[in-house]
Amino acid sequence: MSTGPQFDSVDMMLNMGPQHPATHGVFRMVLTVDGERVVDVTPHIGYLHRGTERLAEVESYGQVITLFDRVDYISNLNNELAFVRAGEKIMEVDAPERAQYIRVILAELNRVASHLLFIGTYAIDLGAMTPVMYCFRERERIENLFEHVTGARMMHNYMRIGGVKSDVPDDFVPWVHRLIGDVRKGVEETDKLLSTNEVFLGRTRGVGIIDGPMAVSCGLSGPSLRGSGIAYDVRKDDPYEIYPYLNYKVPVGENGDCWDRYYLRVLECYESLSMIEQCLNQLPDGPIMAAGRRIARPPAGEVFSHSENPRGDLGVYLISDGSDKPYRVKIRPPSFCNLIGLRPMTIGSYIADAVAILGSLDIVLGEVDR
Amino acid sequence: MTEQDPLAGQPEAKGPEASAEKPVRHGPPIVVAEEQLNERGEQTAEQLARTLGALALDAAGRDDTPWARVDASQLHRAAEKCRDGEMGMDMLNLMLAVDWVDRIQMIYVLYSTTNNRKAILKADLPAEAPKISSVTDLWEAGSWYEREAHDLFGVEFPGNSDMSPLLLYEGFEGHPGLKSYPLNDYEEW
Repeated sequence: MSTGPQFDSVDMMLNMGPQHPATHGVFRMVLTVDGERVVDVTPHIGYLHRGTERLAEVESYGQVITLFDRVDYISNLNNELAFVRAGEKIMEVDAPERAQYIRVILAELNRVASHLLFIGTYAIDLGAMTPVMYCFRERERIENLFEHVTGARMMHNYMRIGGVKSDVPDDFVPWVHRLIGDVRKGVEETDKLLSTNEVFLGRTRGVGIIDGPMAVSCGLSGPSLRGSGIAYDVRKDDPYEIYPYLNYKVPVGENGDCWDRYYLRVLECYESLSMIEQCLNQLPDGPIMAAGRRIARPPAGEVFSHSENPRGDLGVYLISDGSDKPYRVKIRPPSFCNLIGLRPMTIGSYIADAVAILGSLDIVLGEVDR
Repeated sequence: MTEQDPLAGQPEAKGPEASAEKPVRHGPPIVVAEEQLNERGEQTAEQLARTLGALALDAAGRDDTPWARVDASQLHRAAEKCRDGEMGMDMLNLMLAVDWVDRIQMIYVLYSTTNNRKAILKADLPAEAPKISSVTDLWEAGSWYEREAHDLFGVEFPGNSDMSPLLLYEGFEGHPGLKSYPLNDYEEW
């Protein structure tokens, strides 16, 4: 404390967003700062609210799949998978094994693509320009494969309740084998360049710490929760599709800081690539669509099903009244819950770290606002 | 369109007497799914019944997730028992409101990271002025879910200090999640 004359100090309000390059979309937070320290943070969301859940109530089950493509527009296939699994549960059909393998291969590839986007943009947030070039190069390879298989780069509309739209092309298996080799090299390159960089470590190590109990109470999931040392992964804890047949590890962090959350995603890329290789070696022949009625009218009832999205636990609560349209569709958006953890993480940190903390949560505003 | 779905599209008046005048549904008869718990679900259901005791009005479940319906005034107590009792439900995985036209139903999906078990609590609220005590003091995640349900369904949560609009903008009129809220469907012109 200075020994000179005493002045009263007031906290200053600092607005960040909705138009801000580091908020990854239209997200606004109001920081209350005392000097350089953040005293309080108030997130404001809803700029991208499109009423997806309400809209799903007037669409038939097949049409809702296209809405799920647009919920989390970075990992479209994982979102489709979440909905078609809920639909299969309520219609009491099972997808054939080949379709399940194809869906898992594509979902894991999309996980890698999503994590690559995260790594690249997170590096930009922290002032490193090069990794994003490497990451987008690799992501582009994956998008090219998606275009080859589904016909679209992002809004695929490929999965169906009971299977997939069409079988994969003949050159799918060699293409994916080649792709995995390329992408793995690219991830290693980026990993070597960024993960142990002195400046990067300085910006992320010990920043934005959240402890396990608090993270669970906030409803965090995915790498954001596992960074705090809680090994919760839906693929392991509530296995679905063909995940029980695959051999993989779920990396778990220790400190709950930004670097842990970042590095878990890098490790998940390696795990996902090895899972895809296993899937390709096991890929069986057979039908890709469950036999049965084409236009389905499920029995009245309700189901809750969830799956592991790149951002965490993506749940779908589906209520049917027996008609051809869902009565209520409720999405459990992992980004939405992860964002609840922003406040406990940010309070007490520096203003500049607020950007690093928000980036480490890897939010997609389309999913937060729905 | 050959078939009109009475539940979709057009705005409906609230209240049981209005729903009695609903047009008759055409098409095949409605089949109701049989709810059945598997072995793991039965175990969780036993735990849930032990935890809630007389608080549970009725209970059933599907696959590995049992549910129990409690009175709206007892929901907070039931949720607290689930969190602190043997079930150890430390995560509020999902919370949603459902508009059944004659009532609003709140559904709480609870998850335990230590026991890896899921359970669902349900509570029925009147369609007019729905109100239920907040669970924000039990789980941080409750705060945003409650603000969302307040925005979209008009449910009041005494105990949650911040009820400012979350998904909607300041001054938005109405509750777009309700079935009575007009949703412009496609029409021929």
